[in-house]
Amino acid sequence: MNQAIDIQSVHKHFGRKVAVHDLTLTIPRGELFAFLGPNGAGKTTTIKMICGLLHPQRGTIDVCGHRMGINGLAGKAKLAYVPDQPFLYDKLTGREFLLFVGEMYRVPAAEQKRIIGELTERLVMGDFLDKLTESYSHGMKQKVVLSAALMHDPEVLIIDEPMVGLDPRTVRVVKDLFRERIKLGRTVFMSTHTLGVAEAVADRIGILNHGRLVCLGTMDQLRAQAAAQHSLEDIFLDLTHPELQPGDGPGAETIPEETPRDKGDSHVVES
Amino acid sequence: MSSNPDATVAILHSPIGVYSLVRVKVVALRNRVSQAIADSPIKFLATTALLGVVWVGLYLLFVAVFAFLKQSRMEAAIAIPMVFSFFFVAMLVMLTVSNAIIAYTSLFAVEEAVYLLSTPVPPRAYVWLKYIETLIFSSWSLILLGLPLMFAMARANSDAAGYYYLFFISFFVCFVPIPGAAGLVLAWLIARFLDRNVRRRLIITAAVLLAGGLVWTIQTVTTEDAASDQWLTTFLLRINFVQSVMLPSSWVVNGVEAAIESQTTLALSYLAVTIANAMFLSVVAVRVVSWKFMSAFDRALSSRGGERSSAASPAVGLAGKVFFYLPMGQRLIAAKDLRTFVRDPVQWTQLVVLFGLMALYLVNVPKLSGAKPLEGWGMVIPFLNYGALSFILATFTSRFVFPLVSLEGQQRWLVGMLPLTPWQILISKFAFAMTVSTFVAFSTTVLAVIMLKMPFEWAVLQVVVTVATCFGLCGFAVGIGARLPMFEQRNAARIANGFGGTVNLVVSVMLVLTMLSGMGAVGYHNRTRGFDESLDLSTLMIVGVMIVVALSGGVAALIIGSRYLRRAEI
Ligand SMILES: Nc1ncnc2c1ncn2[C@@H]1O[C@H](COP(=O)(O)OP(=O)(O)OP(=O)(O)O)[C@@H](O)[C@H]1O
Ligand SMILES: [Mg+2]
Repeated sequence: MNQAIDIQSVHKHFGRKVAVHDLTLTIPRGELFAFLGPNGAGKTTTIKMICGLLHPQRGTIDVCGHRMGINGLAGKAKLAYVPDQPFLYDKLTGREFLLFVGEMYRVPAAEQKRIIGELTERLVMGDFLDKLTESYSHGMKQKVVLSAALMHDPEVLIIDEPMVGLDPRTVRVVKDLFRERIKLGRTVFMSTHTLGVAEAVADRIGILNHGRLVCLGTMDQLRAQAAAQHSLEDIFLDLTHPELQPGDGPGAETIPEETPRDKGDSHVVES
Repeated sequence: MSSNPDATVAILHSPIGVYSLVRVKVVALRNRVSQAIADSPIKFLATTALLGVVWVGLYLLFVAVFAFLKQSRMEAAIAIPMVFSFFFVAMLVMLTVSNAIIAYTSLFAVEEAVYLLSTPVPPRAYVWLKYIETLIFSSWSLILLGLPLMFAMARANSDAAGYYYLFFISFFVCFVPIPGAAGLVLAWLIARFLDRNVRRRLIITAAVLLAGGLVWTIQTVTTEDAASDQWLTTFLLRINFVQSVMLPSSWVVNGVEAAIESQTTLALSYLAVTIANAMFLSVVAVRVVSWKFMSAFDRALSSRGGERSSAASPAVGLAGKVFFYLPMGQRLIAAKDLRTFVRDPVQWTQLVVLFGLMALYLVNVPKLSGAKPLEGWGMVIPFLNYGALSFILATFTSRFVFPLVSLEGQQRWLVGMLPLTPWQILISKFAFAMTVSTFVAFSTTVLAVIMLKMPFEWAVLQVVVTVATCFGLCGFAVGIGARLPMFEQRNAARIANGFGGTVNLVVSVMLVLTMLSGMGAVGYHNRTRGFDESLDLSTLMIVGVMIVVALSGGVAALIIGSRYLRRAEI
């Protein structure tokens, strides 16, 4: 009921290629969740399903209690999605784009102005916000896209690879922004390869490998599970070792046998 | 704060409509134009002026053609309504197909779709937006081509009243959504119900059927009694279908004809029928497509780049062998371009459709060798064939060949690594373009000369001129593409529509017009002689000049392009 994102037994395959296999994952409100996994693990696919862009062949997804399906407008109104390839209209200025997004989400005009002003200052966008977005560097685009996602103060913020191409100062600002949202009771779901960021800010971490959730828990719980390893990097490399997963089919078993099962909401998923 | 339930209710109650989406596009367009003016006003003016030149050139060409047709009164009576009907039927087919292609790519295959559909934009508003965009994209080139044709028609019928022009433009604008709606539904059906393998099989079946039908028609036509003077009747019967009352194109044809004859009420009622149908069909099409749109979107997204690589397909395998005459490095580049071309249906479907229409028209043209009911007519048909063919080729080279060099700029590091000079790179692009365009142009021309039962000498002349035109057009597209490149742009359509693309289009059209005047001169010179007599010296000289113009133009463009690239140090 009080879940921000509720994924139940979701399965998605493209032709014969299984991208997400029987995934069950619930994210409570007010959590910052980091979604990790090697290239091609199925992170982007999962995210697109949460946003209602792809439909799972089996299973259900709810966002803030709204079923994401054929008609997921209610759920979509609650979330904001930042794709891995940021989208902007070339021939709009950053500001025009932000205003358009504000209108799309029916944000009152005064509110739009306030939010744009605040984000411009924090993300240092003043120099370029009134230029056409086609002239932006990758990082500038990321900043505008991120701001667009924050325009309507979404209940759930879903970001695919937020930190790629951002300078260290901006990474810090973005981390702070995320933490502030969590304090306000909003939810952040991010997929990332930057383990350091995940380690530093995430409340919980999930590791996906070959479409299966192989690991889920807080940083402490993960450390407890994998007694020998101390850094997230070691845990990640260990759980996603290529030799442990021959082939990409659903038959691949991915969990190291000796990993202890934990109590509470930390567990290693078995298929 | 908008996270409260009220905001969500507001979004769901009055979700963003298509107006807001269109408004964003209008703002973007305005920015684009003011940027173009601010960046380089001269370039902007030049582009506009060049487009004007194309437009006026086409208009003058059509006027000349109609005047030529009118020289013999009977031809005018037959040919003008025929050109008219054929033009609109061709438009109906072409617009349906090009709308389907553009709608498919813009509905399902762009980052914009992924973004907008993750927001609470109702699918129906999104579909409306894409429908409107598709209509504009697919019809603007036809506006460029169609308006001069129709205005020339009006001039040919000197009794047409002044308001004819108004009527014609209204007919044109109201007609476009009809094939547009059909194309939209077609695109949706493909995404919704056909998976990759079925689609592939369907395309192959259609191609086989088309080829079979073509062969059959050629056989029946060529075995008919050559001496028969019934050809006119047969011909008119054959094209009768293009004037069927149920076809939207015939409403336009009848309406415009009524307008020419100053029958205002009749013209108005045809216009009303067209408008009513256009509106009704648009609403139905958008409703159908937005119904369960997200599940069609899911399919389209999921089936992209499926598991099976088409590396094994014979066409792709052949690509490596076609360019055996090039040295290794150049061969690789040319083969890569050909593979990309074969794998991208957006590129070849349009070419196939255009030439399919050409073929359809050709098999309907009677053989003329034995029958000489009308003096001069015999020269007109090959002239028109050549004209249509070279315009199609010019479309192909400026849309698909021109961007090739610019697109290579994305992989600058890759091409930079290959031990090739700019000249060698341009030659491999040129080889690719020549291969594709000569293949289609050659087969169409051969079909034409067979259908017309042209004597051997004339057939060779037609083929040689066509190949020379290919050479010139490909040289221009590659050479100008290198001289005026847009290396930052990834979108091929945008590259083609940019400044360099416009220059190339204009130069290509000018080449085509020059070649057409040459063909016209040949036709005029031989107007009393006909095909039975062999080529005389003046004919050969005119053709010689034409060939020299085309070849030297192409080579000059290639040289200019490669010089520029060498200096730019790609
Ligand atoms: N449209 C598609 N058609 C076919 N296969 C797809 C499609 N989209 C994704 N896949 C496949 O599904 C698997 C998961 O892809 P996905 O993009 O979800 O990975 P990811 O975890 O986001 O990887 P990365 O870290 O590289 O972004 C991959 O094997 C990919 O090849
Ligand atoms: Mg991804």
